[in-house]
Amino acid sequence: MANVFQRLNDWAKGVVLAIQDYFTLAWNAIRFAFARPFYGSDLVQQMDAIGVGSLGIVLLTGFFTGMVLALQSSVQLKTFGATLYIGRLVSASMIRELGPVLAGLMVAGRVGSGIAAQLGSMKVTEQIDALNTLGTDPIKKLVTPRVLAALIMLPVLTIINDLVGIIGGNVIASAYVGLPTSLYWRTVWEQIAAGGFTFRYIPNDFIQGIAKPFVFGGIISVTACYYGLRTTGGTEGVGQATTRTVVTASVLILVIDYFMTQVMLAVFSE
Amino acid sequence: MTSDDAPGGPGTQRRRADDRARVSTRTEVREAIRTEIAADAPTTSEMRVRRENAGMPVIELDHVSLAFDEPVLEEISFAANEGETVVVVGESGTGKSTILKLILRLLVPDKGRVLIDGEDITHLSFEEALKVRQKMGMVFQGAALFDSMTVFENVAYPLREHTDLNEDEIEARVREKLQFVDLDADQVMQMMPAELSGGMRKRVGIARGIANNPELILYDEPTSGLDPLTTGTITRLIMKLQRELGVTSVVVSHDIRSAFRMATKVALLYEHHVVFFGTPEEMAGSDNEYIRDFLGGF
Ligand SMILES: Nc1ncnc2c1ncn2[C@@H]1O[C@H](COP(=O)(O)OP(=O)(O)OP(=O)(O)O)[C@@H](O)[C@H]1O
Ligand SMILES: [Mg+2]
Repeated sequence: MANVFQRLNDWAKGVVLAIQDYFTLAWNAIRFAFARPFYGSDLVQQMDAIGVGSLGIVLLTGFFTGMVLALQSSVQLKTFGATLYIGRLVSASMIRELGPVLAGLMVAGRVGSGIAAQLGSMKVTEQIDALNTLGTDPIKKLVTPRVLAALIMLPVLTIINDLVGIIGGNVIASAYVGLPTSLYWRTVWEQIAAGGFTFRYIPNDFIQGIAKPFVFGGIISVTACYYGLRTTGGTEGVGQATTRTVVTASVLILVIDYFMTQVMLAVFSE
Repeated sequence: MTSDDAPGGPGTQRRRADDRARVSTRTEVREAIRTEIAADAPTTSEMRVRRENAGMPVIELDHVSLAFDEPVLEEISFAANEGETVVVVGESGTGKSTILKLILRLLVPDKGRVLIDGEDITHLSFEEALKVRQKMGMVFQGAALFDSMTVFENVAYPLREHTDLNEDEIEARVREKLQFVDLDADQVMQMMPAELSGGMRKRVGIARGIANNPELILYDEPTSGLDPLTTGTITRLIMKLQRELGVTSVVVSHDIRSAFRMATKVALLYEHHVVFFGTPEEMAGSDNEYIRDFLGGF
């Protein structure tokens, strides 16, 4: 009995320490962004890898998600004779939820795993020690550019994802339902306007739709760097690090998405 | 082309390699070691002169203890004076690499002190430690070349990080260092580490380690997993560095033979302790059971 309690205690301590390490890493990554030397070319390279590299997958998933949303909602709305509202449904779902979450999950799978694998193999081949030895802080050189790049690029990818999703909806709405394109886009705008505005011009839906991927970008990059830099045990360890990264980042994205939605609904619907 | 042919020519080396294969018993090993030492006599005496002139120890471990899950090092003490080469030998897993990481302050000891140029580095902050490390060059066991960069960028890395050299000066320095380790600069500079052979990687690793002209160089198993010829080349390289640049080195090695060739002093690790610290001659002449077994094992 005491043994079980002891084990539980050790486990809890381990979890608390891990969470502390995680936030320390996140804090250092951000802090170093404002201290010399700057690794500008690393940042550009990472923005290219994360942003441009993920563009194809984001275009593809966004387009098909928009199409399937339009298809499903057209079936439902037809029964009420309200197919006019397809645009509203597609844009609301894409901008508030599916755009950020899908882009997040895709990037977690594609970029998160890549970062974890790269840093993990650098760790097990002593390249991280080599950086330290050559007087470079590995967090600054490796983690900061990746976190910054993800913070910048994920919102951009999400906007693209939203846009192609809504275009996908447009294609289905006009092909299957015969809804005129101009009408479709008018309802899209109506939906956005219905969410209200901040500072008169910025739609609340956009704020929600950008805040989420910003947070998700942080989650993905910090999680990947965290597991990558803690890799032990050779190539097998690298495999574990990538798997853990994708699982942890995906779960965190879905959980945090729920709580962010709840907070934003409360804030914007006063 | 890997230019493994160093002074002496391939013929002499092949003969040496044959000798090596024939040696089997403990006495023969010791005899062979004595011969090797004699072969390098000028170097050894040269070093002896320098040792007498040398003042303070450049690297000193003072009763250092460290445990991970269980104790790894206990009460480790040894020192390397200026221009000396201390070779750390011991069985696998006894903590040899850990000693190098302590000197680099990648690890902090639980007890005891590590001194570099008389300065205690145990309590330095992370940023201060980065500064101290600039005095040191490290050659990693697997070379640890940055595999996203070319050979040129790898060797240039410490120069870009810590010097104000312009591009031309950097290139000149990189060429100089690559030539120093017997590599054809024009040929390898634009290659990626993955395209190099094991011996070439090690040599690029050494070139990167010395690019910044460090005062002390640490080597983790510079010759492990290499054929006898390449082992000979790298051993000679390390000796050349010591002779020509007068650097202080700590070498971790499995290869007792090359260890004896380059060592000013040997530290033998056994069961968490330094059980022997002295000159190669003293070690070869020792009657201690474990030391004799250890030497016989090679
Ligand atoms: N970061 C670490 N965490 C936990 N244990 C470690 C760590 N680094 C090393 N050890 C343990 O410390 C001991 C010494 O390791 P070290 O790598 O220094 O051995 P070594 O003498 O260099 O061995 P080899 O000759 O095989 O390279 C080993 O038992 C190893 O398992
Ligand atoms: Mg080792």
